[in-house]
Amino acid sequence: MQAHVDGLAWQQPRWRLLVQFLGSMRLAVSLLVLLAIASVIGTILSQQQPYQNYAMQFGPFWFSVYRELGLYNVYRTLWYTAIVAFLVLSTATCVTRNSPRMLREMREFPIRQRDTVILGQDHWVRMATTLPMDQAQERILQVLRAAGYKPRVEQKDGDMAIAARKGRYHRLGYFLTHIAIVVICAAALYNADVPVKWAEWQGTLKPEQNFDLPLSKIPRTAWMSQNNPAYRGIITLPEGQTANAVFELAGNGYLVQPLPFRIHLQSFHISYYSTGMPKDFTSRVVLYSPQGKVLKTGDVRVNHPMSYDGVYIYQSSFSDGGSLLHMKTYLLGASGAAPGELSGRVGQTLHAGNSGYAVDLKNFNLYNIVPKAAVGEKATPDHPTLNLGPSFTYIIHNPNGQAAEFKTYMTPMRRGGQGFFVQGYREALGDAYRYIYIPTGPNGSIGLFMDYLAALQSAARAGANASQAIFTETFQQVVARHAPGMSTTDQSRFLQAGMQTLVQLHDYPMPFILSLSSFDHRWAAGLQVTKWPGTIVIYWGCVALVLGIFILFYIPQKRIWLRLRPRGQESEGVELLLGASADRNRLDFTKEFKRWTGTLEQALGVDHAEYKEQKDGQHTR
Amino acid sequence: MANTRVESWTELSPEPSWWAQWKLRDWAWFAGLSVAAGIILGLYGSSFGYWQFVVLGAWYGALLVAGLAWRPVQLASIGIVLPALLAVWLYSIGQTTANNMLLRDVLQGYAAVMWMSALLLAATACYLFYLFSGRERAGQWATALTWAGVIMGFIGLGVRWRETYLGHPDWGHIPVSNLWEVLVLFCASTPLFYLYYEKRNEARALGAFVMPLVAAGVGFLLWLTFAQHMDQIEPLIPALQSFWMKLHVPMMFVGYANFTIASLVGVGYLLTERSRRRGSGMLLRVMPSSEVMDDVMYKAIALGFLFFTVATILGAVWAAKAWGGFWSWDPKETWALIVWLNYAGYLHARVVKGWRGTAMAWWSFMSLWVVSFCFLGVNMFLSGLHSYGKL
Repeated sequence: MQAHVDGLAWQQPRWRLLVQFLGSMRLAVSLLVLLAIASVIGTILSQQQPYQNYAMQFGPFWFSVYRELGLYNVYRTLWYTAIVAFLVLSTATCVTRNSPRMLREMREFPIRQRDTVILGQDHWVRMATTLPMDQAQERILQVLRAAGYKPRVEQKDGDMAIAARKGRYHRLGYFLTHIAIVVICAAALYNADVPVKWAEWQGTLKPEQNFDLPLSKIPRTAWMSQNNPAYRGIITLPEGQTANAVFELAGNGYLVQPLPFRIHLQSFHISYYSTGMPKDFTSRVVLYSPQGKVLKTGDVRVNHPMSYDGVYIYQSSFSDGGSLLHMKTYLLGASGAAPGELSGRVGQTLHAGNSGYAVDLKNFNLYNIVPKAAVGEKATPDHPTLNLGPSFTYIIHNPNGQAAEFKTYMTPMRRGGQGFFVQGYREALGDAYRYIYIPTGPNGSIGLFMDYLAALQSAARAGANASQAIFTETFQQVVARHAPGMSTTDQSRFLQAGMQTLVQLHDYPMPFILSLSSFDHRWAAGLQVTKWPGTIVIYWGCVALVLGIFILFYIPQKRIWLRLRPRGQESEGVELLLGASADRNRLDFTKEFKRWTGTLEQALGVDHAEYKEQKDGQHTR
Repeated sequence: MANTRVESWTELSPEPSWWAQWKLRDWAWFAGLSVAAGIILGLYGSSFGYWQFVVLGAWYGALLVAGLAWRPVQLASIGIVLPALLAVWLYSIGQTTANNMLLRDVLQGYAAVMWMSALLLAATACYLFYLFSGRERAGQWATALTWAGVIMGFIGLGVRWRETYLGHPDWGHIPVSNLWEVLVLFCASTPLFYLYYEKRNEARALGAFVMPLVAAGVGFLLWLTFAQHMDQIEPLIPALQSFWMKLHVPMMFVGYANFTIASLVGVGYLLTERSRRRGSGMLLRVMPSSEVMDDVMYKAIALGFLFFTVATILGAVWAAKAWGGFWSWDPKETWALIVWLNYAGYLHARVVKGWRGTAMAWWSFMSLWVVSFCFLGVNMFLSGLHSYGKL
C-alpha cells in the first residue's frame, strides 16, 4: 500500500521513517523492476560452467571482474539474495503496517459516515424528493436490493443513514498474496542451503576442487553434515555399485553430502521409440540402511522420482559405467600376423604393448541409430536412419605426443551387397569426423583386407609396380590363402571396395586399427538426490497466492453510503446524499452506478439531481 | 404534491439469486458438459489415475465458467467438438487422409491449421479495412472470420491430438509439445480472448491493432511449416511425458494471449491519444474511448496475470517432480519470473498508485517485448532445460 509521506515526516522518530520507507509503494515497485533486470543477467550468461570456459570467453581481466561480481552463479550471490530479502522485508512491512486498518475495515462497516467522507467517494449524488422519509427509505432499499446489495439502516435524530457493501473479503486477497510471497521466499531461502552458505562463509566448509579424487580421499572440510536440513546433489552410479553420498557443485568445486542410506543401482535401462529416439530412462534402485537392511526397492524414471523418508531420488542423466571392451588390433601392413588382442574398461587408458602408443577408452554407445548423412551416406525419405549397432570412442596417443580421436562401429554397414567396417576419426576435437570404410571378408571381419594390405606392401617392397595386374594378382593369392570359398562376384566387389579404401587410408593418422569383437556393457545412471522439507510450505504459499490474486481481481469491494435528512421548514420531503466507490474495475462500477442511480431518481420522483463532476477523458496520475 | 412517476412506481423485487439468472441455454450448457464428462468417465474412468480426474475436472470447470461468463463460448465449443469428433470417428473406421477428402482437405490437423491461418489472415485484412474505411459491414466480416479461424484452429489441435496416436499408440500426446504446436495454440487463443474483449466493450476497431500481431504469428507458423517442416508429429522426449503438460502449457497461453492483447491495445491507446492531441485522424472516429482501452488493458493483464501465475506454479511443481527442484534458474523460468515481476509492478502501479493513461499504455506496450522474449526468444537464443522448444 502507498506510504503516506507527509510534511511532518522528518519530525518522527527514525525507525518510523525506516518503516515508512520499507513499506512504501515506490520501493516495492522499484524492487520488483530491479529484481527483474538483475534476473536477466543469469539468462544471458550461462551459469555454473567450469571456470576455464569463462576465462577463455572473457580473458583474464574481465573473468576476474565477473567472478568477483558473482556473475557465474548470479542467483546465489549475496547481492541478489539481498534484493530478494529487501523485497520480502518491504512486503512484510507493508503487510504489518496495513493489517490493523484492513482487518478493522473488514470487520466493521460503519453505517453512518460524515458528509465529507461521502463527498470524498469516487461518485456521489445529491437529490431531493417530496416523498416522506419512510416511503423514500423503503424505495431506496428496494432499488439497492434490486441491484444485489444488502443495505443496512440506522436512524438517529430524525435523519437516516443507509449503507451497503459488496466484496467484504476483498482485502483478504491482499493478505493472501503478500503473505504468500513472504512465505514462498522464506521457504525458498531455507531450501537454498543457507546453513551451508553460512558454514562456507565461516570457513568450516571448503569446496574441493579436484574432481578426480575417490570418495575416501576427499578431505573432511568438503563434507557437509548428515543433518543438513535441505540439499540437492548428484551422483553418477555405475550398474551394480552402491553409494552413500552425493555431490553438490559449489563455485569452482564441489561439496559432499552424506546420505542417511546407501543407494545401490541394480540396472539401468533405456527404451526407444521406433525412430530411435529415447522413450524412457529407468534406473532400478535398492536402498539399504547403513546396517545393510533393504529399505526400499523400485524404479526411478524421468518424471517419476522415488521417495524415502523425505528424500527424493530423480533420474537425471546417464553415461557409460565402465563397460568391458574386447578389441582386436590390426597393424597396417604387418604381413600375415594374427590380430592382437586388447581389453579394457571405458575410462581406462591402455598401453599397446611397449610400442609407446596409448589408448584412452572414452565412451561406449550401445545403440547407434544415426541419420545416414552422419556417416556420409545418402538419405532416402523412407529410410533416413541407419542402425550401426554398438560403437566405442577412444583417443590414441602416439609416442610423439600426437593424438587423434576415433569412433568405431561394431556392426558392419552393408552397401551394394558388400559389408563395410565403419570408423570415424578426427585429429582436432572440434572437427567433424572423417570416415573410412573397410570391406569385410566372408567371416565379417576386416582380417582379409588387412592381409591383402600386407601382401600389397610386401609386393611393393619386392619392387612391384602399382599396376592393376599386380593388385588383382595379389588379391587372388590372398584369397586363395585366407578365404578360399569366396565367390567370384564377392571377390570383385571386395576388390573394388578395397581400392577405394586404400586411397582413404592415405590420410589415416595411426599405424593400426582397433575393432570391437565383444563387450560386456555396463551403464551408469546420474541420480539426483534432494531433500527439501520446505516443499509443503511452498505448496500452501502457492495456493494462497493464486486464491489471493483471484480475490483481488474478481471480488472488488463496493461501498455505498447514503444520508437522508428532512428537507427543512419550507418544503416537505427529504434530501439525500449518496456516495459510492469500488476499489477495482472502476469503469464497470461507473456504469453500474449510473444504472441504479437512474432507477433511484425514478423511484423517488427526483426532478433535479446534482452529480459529482466526472472528469471526462481525463486521467489522474 | 405528488409526482406522476412516483405514483406509477411499482415495487422492485430484490436481485434474483445467481442460479435464477441462468437462462435455458445455460442449463443446457451445464447439462451438456456434465453428460460429456459423464460419458468420458463411463468410457475411460476405470483406467484413470488421479491426475486424469484432475485434468478432466479442470477442463470441465473452465469450460463451464467460460461458457457462463461469455455465452458465445457455448456454441463455439460445440462447433469445435463436433467436427473434431467426426474426424476422430472417420479415423476410427479406417478412413485416412489418402481416401477421404473431408479429412484430407478440412479436418486433419494440418489442413485445419492451414484453414485457420487463411481465415485469420483474411480477418486481419478486414479489421484493417474497417479501421480505414469505418464500414460496419467490414467489421462484421472481420469478427465472423476471426471466429471461423479460432474454431478451425482448435479443431486442428483436437484432431492432431488424436493423430499423434495413429500408427504409433505410444507416441500419443496433447499437441502442445513443440514450437509449431504451441504457435497454433497461440494463434487460436489470442483471437479468442480478443473476441471477448471486443464483444464486451463493443470495440471492434481494437482488432486492427490486435490481429496484425496474430497475423505475424500465422506468418511465423507458415514459415515453420514450409521452411522447417516442423508440422511433423514426433514422439515425446521422456521429460515431457507428464500430465502436468496438459495443464501447464494451455494455462501459459491464456497468459500469453492476454498479455499480447493488452500490449496491442496499448499501441491503439497511444496512437489514438496522439490523434486526439493533433485533433484529427480517423482513429478518433472508430476507436473506443480512452477509458475503455485503459480498462481492456487492465482486465487483460489481470486475467493474464492470474493464469500466468497458476501456470508458472504448475511449471514449478512439474519441475519439482521431474528435475528435483522447483526452480533451477533455467532461462525460461527466469524469464517467466521477469514477466511476472514486470506485470506485478504494472498492477501495483495501476491499482495502488492509481496510475492511468499514456505511461501505463507505454508500459503495457513495452511488456510485449518481454513476453515475446519469454515465449520465443528464450528458445531461439538461449539454451537450457526448455530447449525442446528449439527451432
